[in-house]
Amino acid sequence: MRAAWLICVKDLRARLRDRSALLIGIVVPLGLAFIFNSIFSGISGASDVISLGVVNADHGVASQQFTSHVLPAVDRSGLITIHTEPSLARARALAANGTLAAVIVIPAGFSARVQANQPASMQVIGNVDAPVSTQIARSIAESYAADLNRVRLSVATAAGSTPLSPAQTQALAAQAAATSAPVTVTDVSAQTKELNQKSFFAAGMAVFFLFFTVQFGVTSLLEERNDGTLARLLAAPISRASILGAKLLTSFLLGVISMAVLVAATTVLFGAAWGNPVGVTVLIVTAIMAATGIMALIATLARNAEQAANWQSVVAVILGLIGGTFFPVSQAPGVLSSLTFVAPQAWFLRGLGDLRGGGVSVVWVPALAMLAFAAVTGGLALFRLRRLAEV
Amino acid sequence: MDGAKVGERMLECRGLRRSFGKIVAVDGVGFHINPGETYGLLGPNGAGKTTTISMIAGLLERDAGEVVVAGEPMTTHSVRAKGALGYVPQDLAIYPDLSGRENLMFFARLYGMSTAEARHRSDEVLALTGLADRAGDQTKQYSGGMKRRLNIGIGLLHRPRLLILDEPTVGVDPQSRNAILESVEGLSGAGMAVLYTTHYMEEAERLCDRIGIIDHGKLIAEGTRGELVSMVGEGDQVRLSATGNLTGAAAKLSARSWVRQAKALDGGIDLVVENARSELPAILTDAAVDGVAIRSVEVTEPDLEAVFLHLTGRALRD
Amino acid sequence: MKAFWIGMANLRRMFRVRTNIFFVFVFPLVLILVLGATFGGSSSPRLGVVSVGSGSLGTALLGELEQIPHLRVVTVSDPATLLTQVERGNLAAGVIIPPGYDGAVRAGHDAALRYLARPDQSSQQLGETVRGAVARQAALLGSARFAVAQHAAPDFSTGLAAATRLSPAVPAVSVTQTNAGTTLFSRTLGQFDEGAWTELLLFLFLTAMTGSVALIETRRLGLSRRMLATPTSPATVITGETLGRVLISCVQALVIILGSALLFGVNWGQPAGVAAVVIIFALVAAGAGVFVGTLFRNEQQAIGISLLLGLGLGALGGCMVPLEVFSPTMRQVAHITPQAWGNDAFAKLVGHGASIAGILPQLGILAAYAVVLLVLASWRLRRVLSA
Repeated sequence: MRAAWLICVKDLRARLRDRSALLIGIVVPLGLAFIFNSIFSGISGASDVISLGVVNADHGVASQQFTSHVLPAVDRSGLITIHTEPSLARARALAANGTLAAVIVIPAGFSARVQANQPASMQVIGNVDAPVSTQIARSIAESYAADLNRVRLSVATAAGSTPLSPAQTQALAAQAAATSAPVTVTDVSAQTKELNQKSFFAAGMAVFFLFFTVQFGVTSLLEERNDGTLARLLAAPISRASILGAKLLTSFLLGVISMAVLVAATTVLFGAAWGNPVGVTVLIVTAIMAATGIMALIATLARNAEQAANWQSVVAVILGLIGGTFFPVSQAPGVLSSLTFVAPQAWFLRGLGDLRGGGVSVVWVPALAMLAFAAVTGGLALFRLRRLAEV
Repeated sequence: MDGAKVGERMLECRGLRRSFGKIVAVDGVGFHINPGETYGLLGPNGAGKTTTISMIAGLLERDAGEVVVAGEPMTTHSVRAKGALGYVPQDLAIYPDLSGRENLMFFARLYGMSTAEARHRSDEVLALTGLADRAGDQTKQYSGGMKRRLNIGIGLLHRPRLLILDEPTVGVDPQSRNAILESVEGLSGAGMAVLYTTHYMEEAERLCDRIGIIDHGKLIAEGTRGELVSMVGEGDQVRLSATGNLTGAAAKLSARSWVRQAKALDGGIDLVVENARSELPAILTDAAVDGVAIRSVEVTEPDLEAVFLHLTGRALRD
Repeated sequence: MKAFWIGMANLRRMFRVRTNIFFVFVFPLVLILVLGATFGGSSSPRLGVVSVGSGSLGTALLGELEQIPHLRVVTVSDPATLLTQVERGNLAAGVIIPPGYDGAVRAGHDAALRYLARPDQSSQQLGETVRGAVARQAALLGSARFAVAQHAAPDFSTGLAAATRLSPAVPAVSVTQTNAGTTLFSRTLGQFDEGAWTELLLFLFLTAMTGSVALIETRRLGLSRRMLATPTSPATVITGETLGRVLISCVQALVIILGSALLFGVNWGQPAGVAAVVIIFALVAAGAGVFVGTLFRNEQQAIGISLLLGLGLGALGGCMVPLEVFSPTMRQVAHITPQAWGNDAFAKLVGHGASIAGILPQLGILAAYAVVLLVLASWRLRRVLSA
């Protein structure tokens, strides 16, 4: 094992001197994570508050009820802010340019019509590029309208075919309004078992480039065979196993160094939240092992170092894509979302996501999955490597 | 020389055999090397020298045969036997991204030396190879000659009892070649056993105590230079440098009774004749009759080229 | 003419390496497919609903939810799966209509639906939409219950039948909707369209960048010197190398455009406009690639920097996340990159059906980039070749 360690140190020294390893292992993933981060922190998107406007041209009872009770309840949550706009024209302009996602308009005479049991309507003016937020505004209005309708329908159903005097209608309406809605919606909060955007990019880039960083280990065995130095290693009084072990160890350690620097840098520089340190370490170590095994196996199938590098790159990119390192593929249709588990990267990202919403124990399944990848591919690679280590 | 007992031999190999697919590269090669002896393995390109060496150094699995180095059996897994062996491969085998010193330190440690020993020994080898002032530079910045010297130096680091040099002068400029030959002479003078492979006859003649001639995977002759030359029999070697119908002239000459052998080569005719001085005029006349233009004539004692020619009918140099 | 042969030699060398065919042609098309399948088409949030055992009223409520526009309802078999899906982000939120809902309401009990949402805002905001749908059914149910309480109906089912019957006739309070503002794209985009043009630009540039490695190899193998030793002027060699990059880009663009059009039905817009954008962008990419190629002696370093520039500038220029999602500040920053201008041009061609005349400003700016980069590239290449 001393020999394996000596060879590994020699390889690491050569690799770290060679700036390309540093580039691929650290600079490029960090640079890309930084760029993605900048783009995404400048994006108005899913995490924003929805700004809605309300124009109350009516000021009657029914509209006051809406603006003084219903809307403030919505606003209190802080997720949706309500801005009262005095003029319809201005409100419409704000909706058109997107400052407000939508505007709820209560026309003049609304309350009178409600009171008189006549048809009435509220309007929603939505920004054409914010269909989801507009629908939410509409739903807020529709909830209120449905409640008003419930009272009317209750009165009508209770009256049946009997015509009612206005006083009777009023009385019934008051009673109906007093009864509670039979169906309510209670909020249950779920955990978030998904990485936030910053962390997703940091983790995605890190695990994507990991599969390139670990290539340097076993591919160097092919290079040494080519350069003639493998003969020297074989002539030396060391076991063949230590040569093979050294190469795998080099891959592993390069992966460790790269991931450690990336985790630290993205946490400090971009505020990425990787999660519980123990869980993250377990996931990272097993991911590195899986990556080493897979890339090593491919190297043993190639004839020379250049071919090995090419095939490894192709596989790394394909696995990165289906593993969801570029963008989440969990919402992709059918085959793709099941295909994702062929890639260790998917297990890694899922592990990190689950870790966010759970305790450390959630990492065992992804960790074991990645260990399985490592064991199978690594085993096959070692088997083939024994033939490679011959002059 | 051969008086050393079997148990004291530095290298003993018997019945070495190795095929690559259908091609039999080495077929039953066996020889031994005594302590302090320089043994040359001489043969044309493709004769099986490197394959034999690789099996002896434990780099290649043998199909058959045995190798014992300094009393220890050698296989691809043998740690003890490999420790006694120093190996200098034909192609440069040094790490370009490491400095000269780092290369030496790495291999020294790999051969089991402690850091202190390794440092001490590396300094010695750097001095020996004249690389001390460039020790800190990455070897990719070395000149070709410097790389060669380092290549040999690495083989010497652990003070091996047997040093194997695989065609160390191929593609090397005459100055460096001379330097290498002088170093090898120095090493064997100091008592190191050396196994030296080459296809250059002059090197074998200059350096080696005993020579094994290998061709097509078989050891076809072995002995000291004198013993080998005597195989050709009594006679002188006449080397004609000429142009024209060489094959015709050679055939004609071989018909002469006092001509042991005559062979047309690239650029001339090599002959072994019984008494060159008296037969020289006849040779020249015969040759000239066939329209051969002779540029120079050289009369010497038969050399290993002649031996090889005698044994195989082909030239040592391709 | 010699420049052309140098260019063709470049092209041939590139395609000899089979993995290049993957990276240059296959991978872009695969990426377009995956992007379109995952993100193209509707971007409506997905709501998971568990309604097992909730009876006919539960099914009716599910129907209400499915009617909501801009919401995709997905039925889920059990609450545990629903929770996992919501937590992992596969579903924006979840609703559980409890088993026995039908029976409980009919018996006069209040029923509560559970709404599962994650702490992030979009998940919570969707709750309003669910409440709206529930309120509609609650109107019918509440009326039925009221009728029973008022003894106008003997039991809930009769009351519900009556309410349902009367509902259309009752004057209703309704909500009407109009839209304001201009749409981003006046034409409807196909599912794969936006992904196709953004990936085309990304890969044209990326391939030119990593192709710069071929230039280094040419130098390293002493081929450039050999070329210069022949009666070929340095200008021809330079033109040839650059032309090689342009040829590769054009072939790549052709394959991606035709491939995506045939396989995924991608619409690219007016052919003249497309050709103009592609050729000028290819020149930009070639200039950048050759320039980068002259800056390095070491292939591996060049690949690293090429990846960084190719992917980085591509991301910044709106090739991975579309420009329309960028904040105004970032959108301005994005237009430092040629990719942003290329994306703008395609948005006009495909999204607004513009002709080549409509994209002249973008073409002009891209042409300026091309000139600058090509001048820089040839200056560097001349220096390097004579070194």
